[in-house]
Amino acid sequence: MSNLAREFGFMLRSRSALMALALLAICASAAVALGLASVARDRAAIDRMIAGQATEERALAAFVKDAGSGAYYGFQPTWDAPSDLAFAALGSRDIAPAMLRVRALALEAQIYENEAANPELALPGRFDLAFVVIYLAPLVLIALLHDLWSGEREAGRYHALAAMPGANRRLWSARVLVRLGGVLAALLLPFAVGALIAGTAPLRALGFAGLIGLVALLWTAIILIVARRGSRSAVHAASLAAIWFALTLVAPAGANLAINAAVPVPDGAALARENREYVHAGWDRPRDQTMRDFLKLYPQLAPGAAIPPTFHWKWYFAFQHLGDRHVAQQSQAYRDGIARRAELARAAGWLLPPAGLAQAMTALARTDIAAQLDYQMRIRAYHQRLREFFYDYLFSEKPFGPDDLADVPRFDPAIDS
Amino acid sequence: MNRALTIAGAELRLMLRSRLALVGIATLLLLSAIAAVTSATQMAAAAEMRAEAQAATDAQFKAQPDRHPHRMVHYGTYALRPVGPLAAFDPGVDAFTGTLLFLEGHRQNSATFGAARESSDLVRFGQLTPAFVLQTLAPLLLVFLGFASIARERERGSLRALAAYGAGAWSILVGKALALGVAAALAMAPAFAALGWAAVQQPGEAGIAALTALSYGGYLLVWVLVITAVSALAASAQGALVTLIAAWAIVVVLVPRAAAAWVGVAEPLPSRVDTEFAIAADLRRIGDSHNPNDPHFAAFKAKLLKRYGVTRVEDLPFNYRGVLAQEGERLTSQLFKDYAARAAAIQNAQTETLTTLGIISPALAVRRASMTGAATDLGTHLAFLAAAEAYRYAMVQKLNGLQASAVASADDAARSKDPIADRRTRISADFWKTIPDFDFSAPSPGERAGAMAMPLAVLALWVALAIGLFAFARRRLERAGL
Repeated sequence: MSNLAREFGFMLRSRSALMALALLAICASAAVALGLASVARDRAAIDRMIAGQATEERALAAFVKDAGSGAYYGFQPTWDAPSDLAFAALGSRDIAPAMLRVRALALEAQIYENEAANPELALPGRFDLAFVVIYLAPLVLIALLHDLWSGEREAGRYHALAAMPGANRRLWSARVLVRLGGVLAALLLPFAVGALIAGTAPLRALGFAGLIGLVALLWTAIILIVARRGSRSAVHAASLAAIWFALTLVAPAGANLAINAAVPVPDGAALARENREYVHAGWDRPRDQTMRDFLKLYPQLAPGAAIPPTFHWKWYFAFQHLGDRHVAQQSQAYRDGIARRAELARAAGWLLPPAGLAQAMTALARTDIAAQLDYQMRIRAYHQRLREFFYDYLFSEKPFGPDDLADVPRFDPAIDS
Repeated sequence: MNRALTIAGAELRLMLRSRLALVGIATLLLLSAIAAVTSATQMAAAAEMRAEAQAATDAQFKAQPDRHPHRMVHYGTYALRPVGPLAAFDPGVDAFTGTLLFLEGHRQNSATFGAARESSDLVRFGQLTPAFVLQTLAPLLLVFLGFASIARERERGSLRALAAYGAGAWSILVGKALALGVAAALAMAPAFAALGWAAVQQPGEAGIAALTALSYGGYLLVWVLVITAVSALAASAQGALVTLIAAWAIVVVLVPRAAAAWVGVAEPLPSRVDTEFAIAADLRRIGDSHNPNDPHFAAFKAKLLKRYGVTRVEDLPFNYRGVLAQEGERLTSQLFKDYAARAAAIQNAQTETLTTLGIISPALAVRRASMTGAATDLGTHLAFLAAAEAYRYAMVQKLNGLQASAVASADDAARSKDPIADRRTRISADFWKTIPDFDFSAPSPGERAGAMAMPLAVLALWVALAIGLFAFARRRLERAGL
């Protein structure tokens, strides 16, 4: 214990070590604060949408005449609320929308909408705790530990110190433990405060803290392996910075290039056009054919499927849905392409531990690509419930009025999955 | 000066003999070559894909059959944002915005399908592009090459020997900086070649390419001067290295991210849904086409009837429904325009704050100059959105005009009840061919050069600061007896 206390005292007297740790603690605290603010902003936007929906529905109630107009004008909110850990790893929440209002028309024309955002703010990447842990903490560890042995050698004290009985345990281990402990404290204390404010589930918070610990241990191991070699301190620092640079910056960028080249994603513009073509050709296609094709998907609606020779919402919503079915394969291929890229990136994460640990953080916080695709699947499931609710009215010719608006199914993050 | 050149020559020979330096330069050469080639291929493919998609959507619009013009209002068309002229050098925000905008009546959609949403989450740090190499990787390589240049001489005691040969502090500093500059120029060559190649292919962009090269030259000069000065000022080579890596991490990695995060929270942008709700509320206030007793539309109708001296809309010399659609579109589009302008003002203010923060980090300033020059910045994207909205409005109003002039009022009124009348409301497909194609060109080189002035001024300030530090290092060396 006295060894640790002594090393702690040394660290307190080193101005550069204290400055590095203070900078890290400030960055971690700022990242937690900005992460919490960003999550609070997302939540507030979702709350505003849900609250504003009531106004929209009152306005709709004033002119809704039938199920068709209710479905046509009735946008319904869907959302992807940030998890209780999102503040620590914001992931791709800044580039993928967390809210989307949908209606019972062709979904492929609605689901790819983007949130209003300044792209120049997304360009440098998110400033969150995960960033501080993955990118900055290793640099601080390198600054604190690269000259563990070479520094003493250059000061001419090495041989005297190494000759001490139990030098490994009493001296070097204690020194490493104290410095590693300083870095962990700078990261974990702000995280703990953030988790308390966000009300993170204890197990999940513990898991995230474990990932932070793994990152710190991984880098401590790398640094000690390099620092054990007998070169000068400057050479150690340069080699370690080069390793950091290669592992966290260059290799992931290269892997991303390779993955994007290896896994093509179908052209979204072509998918959107194809969907529009099929939907709008519906106006000119023989109506019987449209209804026949639609009833193949919904045979149970056949009894009420007769349509007049003029416009009818039944027919309109039938060809809307057929437009979605027409591009279902392309749409699936588009999602599969993105999922495949994410999967290969996870595989690359095993070879590039810092990238792998960053992915584990966003996965735990449910802010990764998988979570975005999952939200899209929930929108799709909800859209089906919404459509089928209106089909029921349209095909049974049940009257639909302002009072029925209250019965329209609502998005529920828990059941639409 | 001759002494400085001799010292530079000696330093370069030393770099050639040092494995660390050679590996560093070779790695950067390789990375910037890979970046130049892959970025050029990717952006060329994207440019071709978007041009083809634009041609396809224009052709599809013109190939539509005889229809009621309002069908075409809903059929709509697409606008694709073209790839910026120097995007292969610096793709900027290209991946972070949607590139496809659906243009239809009554609605203003968002741009969809951006590359960032289609990529893995492996790199939220930076794509490997020539601009990224120059902004982020090059300074760190320069740190590795230059941190020891003077500190090493001092540790070995050879500084005094140099002085004994008559080399003053100034020639030592300049010589070392010169050597580092040569190494930098060599390692950056592929990235600059990519810029030069783009200028050769598009002679109109040569001036912008030169300004871009100037801004990167200034940025790297700042690093060369600061690295040499810190190497002269630090107590040891190790101290110089740790200081410089910390400076790099703060300037290049920390500040740009933290600044963006802070700006996003400090100057928040309303969400898309906020805007949709606000527009809907405004519309209900100023004119609700769904409400048969709406005062705005009632007054609009009364005015028309009075002007033509008739009592019923059926007696107007044109199809009232088309004119009504025009008035409705006019109201909504004015709101779209107002709210888009408000959102653009917030985003421009955010970006302006980032440019001002370039005073803390020259990396922000050089990024701004580079993206602005390449026309891959926020400004160009907003210009694209505005151009697409103007095009959408003109197209929709032209189609509404066709409904007013070419569709008989009686047929239009009866079309939902009478299939024969419905058939008569379909006007000739030839009309669709009279709608012009969407065309967007990036802000002119002159405009972009003007927008680059501010970041260039910030960079000039940084060069001045670096020269100040350099001069300070000289005084310290001189005072130490050199």
